[in-house]
Amino acid sequence: MTGRLTFDAIVVGAGPAGVAAALTMARGGLNVIIIERGRFAGAKNLFGGVFYTHALADVLPDYWERKPPFERPVTEQGYWMLSPDSAIRVMHKSERYLKEPADAYTVLRARFDPWFAEQAAAAGALLITRTTVTQLLKDERGRVIGVDTDRPEGKVYAPVVIIAEGVNNLLTQQAGLIASDLPPKYVALAVKEYINLPAKDLQIRFGLSGPREGVAIDVFGDVTLGLPGTGFIYTDQSGISIGVGMLLDEFVTHRLRPYEVLERFKHHPVVRPYLEGGEVREYGAHLIPEMGYDRMPKLAGDGVMVAGDAAGMVDALHREGTNLAITAGKMAGETALAAHQAGDFSAAFLSRYRRNLEGTFVLQDMKQYRRMTDFLESSPQFMGTYVNLLNEAALRYFTAHGIPKRTMEHDILKMVRERRSFTGVAWDMLKLMRAMRG
Amino acid sequence: MSNRTNGQTAPVADVQLPHVNIDDLIVCLKYYVDEENAHIRIKDLAICAACDPKPCLAFCPAHVFETDRHGRMMVGYQACIECGSCRVACPFRNVDWRLPRGGHGVAYKYG
Ligand SMILES: Cc1cc2nc3c(=O)[nH]c(=O)nc-3n(C[C@H](O)[C@H](O)[C@H](O)COP(=O)(O)OP(=O)(O)OC[C@H]3O[C@@H](n4cnc5c(N)ncnc54)[C@H](O)[C@@H]3O)c2cc1C
Ligand code: SF4
Ligand code: SF4
Repeated sequence: MTGRLTFDAIVVGAGPAGVAAALTMARGGLNVIIIERGRFAGAKNLFGGVFYTHALADVLPDYWERKPPFERPVTEQGYWMLSPDSAIRVMHKSERYLKEPADAYTVLRARFDPWFAEQAAAAGALLITRTTVTQLLKDERGRVIGVDTDRPEGKVYAPVVIIAEGVNNLLTQQAGLIASDLPPKYVALAVKEYINLPAKDLQIRFGLSGPREGVAIDVFGDVTLGLPGTGFIYTDQSGISIGVGMLLDEFVTHRLRPYEVLERFKHHPVVRPYLEGGEVREYGAHLIPEMGYDRMPKLAGDGVMVAGDAAGMVDALHREGTNLAITAGKMAGETALAAHQAGDFSAAFLSRYRRNLEGTFVLQDMKQYRRMTDFLESSPQFMGTYVNLLNEAALRYFTAHGIPKRTMEHDILKMVRERRSFTGVAWDMLKLMRAMRG
Repeated sequence: MSNRTNGQTAPVADVQLPHVNIDDLIVCLKYYVDEENAHIRIKDLAICAACDPKPCLAFCPAHVFETDRHGRMMVGYQACIECGSCRVACPFRNVDWRLPRGGHGVAYKYG
């Protein structure tokens, strides 16, 4: 037998969290391997599509010169609140979004992730694709000392392993960092289509002056049949990313087929004109962890850390996840560097990873929205009732009926009262405030 | 809504969903099927037979779960897009779910 294959650090998964960790460690002089099960980094990954550049700039200050494969800068963004036949649109457009590099871009993961992984490889990390990590290797005291893969003689050793496996957290469970699977009420299932459209049509429909402008729309209300959840429409270079997501439990309880919910959204009278003539080029689905701050796994154990979706680092309210993953990956990487310096890979030493993260937006935002999932679950009327109500109120408000305005206002209030008692409204608002204030 | 028991189902009032031919969506996907290795298996077919709501027939975004003429559960793992839903949402934890072998399974072009 030849000697065992040993590295300074192993990263499982070449998503944003894993690549950021590997990049940080390679830059710091460690001998790092990233193991990815897809045929290439990003082959298995799908998201809605808004990528925030701040976290990237933090790990890769010169990223702009490296020409990341972004789709369009987000220069207009906001919400559509759909009732079955109407929409209230609250969009924000500003000259201040028009700068390069922008704060946010739409992105297609199968294009972005390989580029990001290449930057880590250029920094010296070894990227191994088409290889699934099947198991964590532990010593007799239970410390993680490496991983086993589905390759023949596929064991790889390192004093520290960073798990960045995404939402299906099998290894995180194996590491003993989380007790069990996420129950379906703490995980959202999203389906998405990528629809091809000539850039020219797209720009006319969304009112964009050219390829340097793009729109990100989050949609509430009728898009999810009034159930808690959201839809999205994002403009890519010559296509549209459109999708819908709801807690998995909702699909189970209501026996809904996710692709039919999406199809219904695409047929909504307000949405359909935007998609006219477009061709569906790809369909896919992915889970989003929504367990919230209080149910996050432990972030470190002996010889192991976990970052990104595997650790539940998603801010569902602001559709953020890739940026949390990158920042956490970077901090896990920095902690591994420090551990090498100290020669200490114990859970006690690696726990500084969490302490450092407490000082960033990652854990602070997670903490602030810790009640959000429970809020939505306990207030299912929030989406449906209120969004429909707003639409009907708007219809009355904007239509001249030949009745005095005071009567119109009175009608709207009466409508509200019929749908939900005033104490009910007050209670909902209070709960929403609490959920948002943390 | 909040105190649901797993496996209970309830329709959403007044909603008509359009029918979608899932095969039309799946054809635009690229798969590298592992012919020798099914990464998803039913642990116990008898449990499926007794599972009344069979939510997997609905929530699986690739319609991998299907019953045959005799009502027996069949798993077309080749179409799986590896989301992981069935792993956590089967009320009886009756799905043996693994990651496909490295390089196999779905490969998105856009994602
Ligand atoms: C529909 C949807 C919309 C979203 N919209 C947004 C958005 O607009 N903006 C935003 O910032 N975030 C968004 N997110 C969240 C974001 O996608 C995630 O938070 C982010 O991708 C997490 O990164 P990660 O590196 O932790 O995990 P992932 O990106 O999931 O990467 C995990 C990687 O590990 C690999 N892997 C897993 N297990 C193994 C194994 N055993 N062996 C080898 N490799 C393995 C996988 O193949 C994958 O490449 C969205 C998510 C979804 C699903
Ligand atoms: S796989 Fe699970 S949900 Fe589907 S029929 Fe079998 S037991 Fe029921
Ligand atoms: S992992 Fe997702 S796509 Fe695959 S069978 Fe399970 S639910 Fe269906």
